[in-house]
Amino acid sequence: MISVADLLRESRIPANYFDFAAYLRGDLDLGLLENRRGDRLIAIPHTLVTALYKGLGQETGQAARLVLMNCGIWWGKNFYTRFTESLEEYYGAPLAEMSMGIFIECLKECWTTHGWGALDFEPAHQSRGLLVITTKNSPYGIQIKGDRRPSCFLEAGILTSFFSRLSGQDLLAVQTTCESLGDPQNTFILGLTKRLEICEALLSEGLSHEAVLQRLLN
Amino acid sequence: MNSQLQELLNRAQERYLTSQDLKQFEEYVDSLPDRLGLYRLLRDQEVTLLQRVADQAEVELKDRVSLETLEEGMKNLILVLRYGAMAMLLDDESFLKQRLLAWLERVLPIQQMRQVNEVLYRLLNQELKKYLTARQQTLLMPLITTAQVTLIY
Repeated sequence: MISVADLLRESRIPANYFDFAAYLRGDLDLGLLENRRGDRLIAIPHTLVTALYKGLGQETGQAARLVLMNCGIWWGKNFYTRFTESLEEYYGAPLAEMSMGIFIECLKECWTTHGWGALDFEPAHQSRGLLVITTKNSPYGIQIKGDRRPSCFLEAGILTSFFSRLSGQDLLAVQTTCESLGDPQNTFILGLTKRLEICEALLSEGLSHEAVLQRLLN
Repeated sequence: MNSQLQELLNRAQERYLTSQDLKQFEEYVDSLPDRLGLYRLLRDQEVTLLQRVADQAEVELKDRVSLETLEEGMKNLILVLRYGAMAMLLDDESFLKQRLLAWLERVLPIQQMRQVNEVLYRLLNQELKKYLTARQQTLLMPLITTAQVTLIY
């Protein structure tokens, strides 16, 4: 028998944790923006991201992409911890018991609410060990002069460490299309690092996303 | 407060509100006692009202769906009624649509829940019609219908 009073015993029935209106808070007198848990948020101007890319490019040249990727990886580790803690706290269940559907939707919603663009999953090749993730309106796809390669290094990094921690395996996110190159979206192929190591060479040869994906699947 | 009224607040720096604008405010303010009354009723009767829905739904569905599915359906119904009550108080349908329904639509297995939701919403409508005056029904029912349409069809 169902008892409504029992269902209501919890102080709240969880809905959308990253609901923009409930998620974003702040103490404007102190100059602080916060999320609903009280973690600090800051709005980074797009020009600052551009400046970071440019400054790093000038100082470190080709190494800039590696530095940014590593920053992304470090960010992703912390992001994973905060993200899963928030969800476990809000939904009142350990991650392992949470439905994959809700987890994925939360990640998409989290991305949007933070203004990182619109993230989506293409699960078509998941059964063969490859996950394709796309983002649109990324703040990190910035064309670096003279470079014809995708440039969402921070995103590639965050996805790499986020999904590595989620799966407990050593995964890598390789970007194959980029808004900064005129593509309609940014595409990342996620898979085991060993399997994806070849991508760097394939992309240098100028292979398209589809071609890279086919080579990985064959 | 609905988005039209919000928009008026943002115009404070531009100009005084026109008589037409103020009329919108007045209409909303005039409707507030009714809205508050209905909100209090829904709040105070939440458990009683929804328990009646749950009891009848259990009888109707007992051989067809698991208790877990029915419980899941009831939890979502509780949410819809809570967000619906707030949307009614604010006269803002988007409060329900954007902040709850858009989310439920994405995370619920709509197909699997259809059978349960059809029964739950039919029973909820029946119960609400018993509890609410005609005026109160005008305020709340369109919101429940919006939820029903989003989550079932």
